[in-house]
Formats: sequence, structure tokens, C-alpha cells
Amino acid sequence: MTGSTDGRAASSSNCWKIIHIPDKPPIPPDNQPTTIVHAAAIEPQHANTIVRKLNQIAPLENLRHVKRVHKRCLDEGKIQLFVVLCMAPENDGKCNHMPEEVLELVTLYQLSTFITKVCTYAASTKEEWEEQCKLWPTSFHPPTYNIDGITGFSEEDSQSIFRFMKFAVSLAKSGVGSVVNAAVIVDPSTMQVIASSRDQVLSCNTPIKKNNGETCCSRLSEATQYDTIETEDRQSLLSKCSFNDAKLTYNCVSCLNPWSWLEQKLHTGSGSWHPLQHAAIVAIENSAARERDLFPMNGHIADEFVHEDYKALSPTGSPWKRQKINLANVKDDENMNCQKNGLRSDSSRPYLCTGYDIYLVWEPCTMCAMALVHQRIRRIFYAFPNSSDGALGSVHRLQGEKSLNHHYAVFRVLIPVDVLKSEALFAITAENG
Amino acid sequence: MVETQEDTICFMNLAIEQARLALDSLEVPVGCVIVEDHTVIASGRNRTTETRNATRHAEMEAIDMLLEHWQKDGLSREEVASKFSRCTLYVTCEPCIMCAAALSIIGIKEVYYGCANDKFGGCGSILSLHMNSSEKLTSGVSKKKGFKCTRGVMASEAIDLLRSFYEQGNPNAGRVNTVFTLIQPQSLTESQCKGSKQFDTSCRGAVMKNVTCLRSY
Ligand SMILES: [Zn+2]
Ligand SMILES: [Zn+2]
Repeated sequence: MTGSTDGRAASSSNCWKIIHIPDKPPIPPDNQPTTIVHAAAIEPQHANTIVRKLNQIAPLENLRHVKRVHKRCLDEGKIQLFVVLCMAPENDGKCNHMPEEVLELVTLYQLSTFITKVCTYAASTKEEWEEQCKLWPTSFHPPTYNIDGITGFSEEDSQSIFRFMKFAVSLAKSGVGSVVNAAVIVDPSTMQVIASSRDQVLSCNTPIKKNNGETCCSRLSEATQYDTIETEDRQSLLSKCSFNDAKLTYNCVSCLNPWSWLEQKLHTGSGSWHPLQHAAIVAIENSAARERDLFPMNGHIADEFVHEDYKALSPTGSPWKRQKINLANVKDDENMNCQKNGLRSDSSRPYLCTGYDIYLVWEPCTMCAMALVHQRIRRIFYAFPNSSDGALGSVHRLQGEKSLNHHYAVFRVLIPVDVLKSEALFAITAENG
Repeated sequence: MVETQEDTICFMNLAIEQARLALDSLEVPVGCVIVEDHTVIASGRNRTTETRNATRHAEMEAIDMLLEHWQKDGLSREEVASKFSRCTLYVTCEPCIMCAAALSIIGIKEVYYGCANDKFGGCGSILSLHMNSSEKLTSGVSKKKGFKCTRGVMASEAIDLLRSFYEQGNPNAGRVNTVFTLIQPQSLTESQCKGSKQFDTSCRGAVMKNVTCLRSY
């Protein structure tokens, strides 16, 4: 399943779209709750003085996202400034009451006041923010800081996101007919596929993984070692899932139906199966296996590793600790060899999946979504929602659970459903870096 | 046969034994045992540091151990499901959201845990996945399974272990938030709670505020 992006496939991406799935359930952008305020037009030369005074006598305590001053361009290039004076009491039909000090200011500058609406809550998406500014300008701080993409993707970024999603979909379909979920973990800084997997709940070929780190010490020859789908796997998967010949069913997608592992028909009696080996869980283990191989642990590093966990999460965490670890790794022969083989372009040891993205065909179930929190994934891209057990907005919304110690950004890649049927569209796969 | 209070304490002691093994290996000390017909059939401890896989919690280790054994013995999926439905888990700390979901998926019968996990607990603290049962909705969607859950069993012992881990490992321990809470033993499914069972009386009513942790175990 290797090939390259040809013109036809590239043009088929034109209708694809990436949307951010925010931390809280979205409100229709044009239907956001509003608050009534007193406002007035002001002369530009008085603006600084008036705003400074107002910030003292009538601070907008619960409306910090609302900009105090609204600049409007009039005809002939003239500019008119408006200012929010204070909140207007909601229960009063006339809304005439203003604090004494504000009234004094109004009299002093001979302001003619009016009532207007501003949005009550800060925008959580760009769409909400754009709609808010039609009423009165607000400031917009993307809810998850320092994560690329929340305010939009460049054309180049979008194309690589589509490319990896296509790889995930082709993996999901690689069982020839029986579609399952698939996961692809990517290092976006190098565009390298770190690990990938299909669901293995019903797979007969992959043995239950060894938990023992020592068993995975074979020298890494190529990155695809950590992609669990292999040619013979694909052949044998043909008969493993019950599926309807005439029409495509999604019964084998483990995250859509985690409790169905018992009900699925298994055609062959031999081989292993595992109710918890959803694609994301297996991909996480594959990426961990890769890390164990590239950076074998010794006592000294083990110690550092524990500390690193605190550092990574501590607000006072400083880069020196990471550099120290890098030095330790440079001395490491195994690591040096791997670098000579060109497997890693930098010497920094990964910490779990920090900084990595994961592509999933379906929105992950609660178990998988929490596993991705534990493994510190940075961004999740999924194509289809999961109304039965999806944990990124459908049933739960883990990216919005404040108590969790890590938060990823979540994006849905809108793609036509028939890509799961159409063979032609997925004649391509992602190329590694 | 009904499990007695002594049985419960005994099995939780074995779970704490597992947590100690984790502590000796510089892992966050959380341990568990799985019991079928008054016999311990699996144990697990946290291995996230060793495996570089932050999902290798004690519960996942124990579940995988059972699946491996049962499949080696040639048990069918039906037989495995039926066995899980007779199993009770004893774990020193509240199962996280991931583990609680996993326990629901395999269809475990019952869970006893020690201290609560205020940051990512899935059995009452953040989500209540043990009450995750549903009727069969539409065709093609299987029934979700809940499980009986009792918390606060030997919670102070579980917390002591966690505290000793964080105090030895982290010089800034005093400055971070409380994560694990010591709680009074109580059943989490009110409807299934027949009278209040009392466990380790030494920990009743106490709430720890100084136990510190920043990492997921
Ligand atoms: Zn899943
Ligand atoms: Zn867990």
C-alpha cells in the first residue's frame, strides 16, 4: 500500500475541512447569550481619560473579554469611537440606572448614552468570536494555549493533515471490506509516522503484547516495525470479522461498540483476541515499544525519568532538566547507533507522546480518549463522530475536563462518508517524512 | 457465599503488597488483585515508567494477565466473559477513567478501592463509569455494563504509600495540589448498598489534604 499523491487524489481533498472541537459544547455562534450595557459615543481626544476613569469606577468584572472601546469607520474615512460605560440592570425595563460616578462622567463630557448588547461569555471558537464582534468587539483567546491549529491551519498544514488522515482511513479499510478503527501517531515536527495500528480486538495474528521492556530490544531496522499491520496480517484479517458482503457495516469498529467484543462472530477458533486492543491502545503500545528500543533505560535514566514527569508538569519547569537528559542519551551507544541509521534526526528523547499528533478514523471511546490523556498526546484528529461512546464531545468531553493533568486539542477532519466505500480514493498512503 | 469484611481486608492487603512492589521499582505505588470464588487469580502493579507506556496501570496489567492465561487454556470468548462477570477487583486507588471504562468493557462484577483519585477517577470522582449501564438502544449497539463499586477500603495505607513515593521523589511536593483523597468507606451505588459496611476503622472520617502528586501514575 505505498504510492504517492497523484493529482486526482489531491483534488479529492478539496472538499475536506478541519474543524476544532472546543472544550465546551458549542453554542450556535449567532445565538450566544448577551448582556445589556450602557454605552456612549466619545471624542477621540477624550478616549484615554474616559476609559481610565471608567476602569476605576465601573470595571467590567464579568465581561473582561468585552473591549471597552468600539471603533467604527464612518463614511469619508472618519472614525467614531464608542465606549461601554457600565452594565445595565437587567430587571429594569427602562435601564436608566447608572452609578452616580458614571452619571457625573456623562454630564462632564456631555455624552449622549444608549443601550446596547454585548456577548456574556468569552468566545471559545473563531466562529463564535467573529459573530460576537458583529455586536460589539471582544477579545479572543483560544482556550488551549500553545497548540497550533486552534485559530486555523495553513494550506500546507491542512494538506499534511489530510495526508495522514488518508493513511488512517486506508489502514482502517485494509482488512478488505471489514472496516475497523485505525490510529496513526505522527511527530509533526519531522512529519514522521511514529506508530500505527488497526483495532485488534478480533485479530488473530498479533499476540498479546509483552509488558516486559527487555523483550523488545531488537535493533531497529526501520520505522515500520512499529506499524502493526503487515502483509500477512492483512490476508488473515479477511476472515476475522463478520461483515455483510452487500453493504458495509461498522460493527467491527471497536470504539463505536466497545461492549460488542463478545457478540462479534469469530470465524476461526484459533489465535488471540483482546477486548481492550482498540487501535489507539495498540498504537500507544507500539510507540512505547519504539521508545524503549531507541532509548533503553538504565538506572540513571530511570531516575531522571521520574523527575522529568514532575518537571514537565510543574509551572516552574525549566529546560535544563531536559538538556541534562539529552546529554545522558548522547553517551548511550544504542542511541548513537539509531542516529547513525538516520532514524532520529535529533537527539532529544521523547517523553511519552508529548508533542505528537494522533489520527483516528472514528472519535475514540472513553477508554481510548483517557489513554491518550495519559500518554500526553498533543492533538487528536478524527474523521467520524461516535455517538455511542465518543469521549471527545459526543458522550463525554475529556478535552474540557478541567481536573485532568493534561489537555489535548481536538479536531474533526470532515471527509465524505463514502471514502470508506470508495476504493479509488485511497490508492495513496502517507509517506514517512 | 458472601464476602466477609475480613476477606475484603485480606484481599486489599494483597493489593497493597503489589503497590509496594511498584514503589520498590520506582513506580507510582498502585497495585491490585483480581479475585474469583475467594481465590486470587491475578495481580498487577503500575508499570508506566518501566514500559514508557502511561496506560500500563495496575488494572490493565492484571486484566492482560488473565486474558493471556485464559486464552492459553483455550477458553472461548463466552467462557472468558462469563469468568470476568464473576470477578472482583481490589485496587489501592480509584480506577482512572481509562481503567474504569476497561473494567466496564470486560464486564467485571465488582470493584473495591482505597483512596479516591480526585484528578482522573472514573468511579465517582470525575466520571461515574461504574454506573454506565444502559439498555440495548439500537440494533448493533451493545448494552453498556456497570459494576458494583465500594470505596475507602484501607485508604490510609494506600495514601501512605503514595505519599512516601512523592516525598522521596519530589522536592517540591509541598507546593502541589491534593490528588488522592482519603474517604470514608461507602458503596457508590446507593441502590445496591445494603446497610453501611465498615472497613478499616482507623481511616474512618479522615480526609487527607497534604498528599501530593502531579503525575498520572
Ligand atoms: Zn476505544
Ligand atoms: Zn487507570
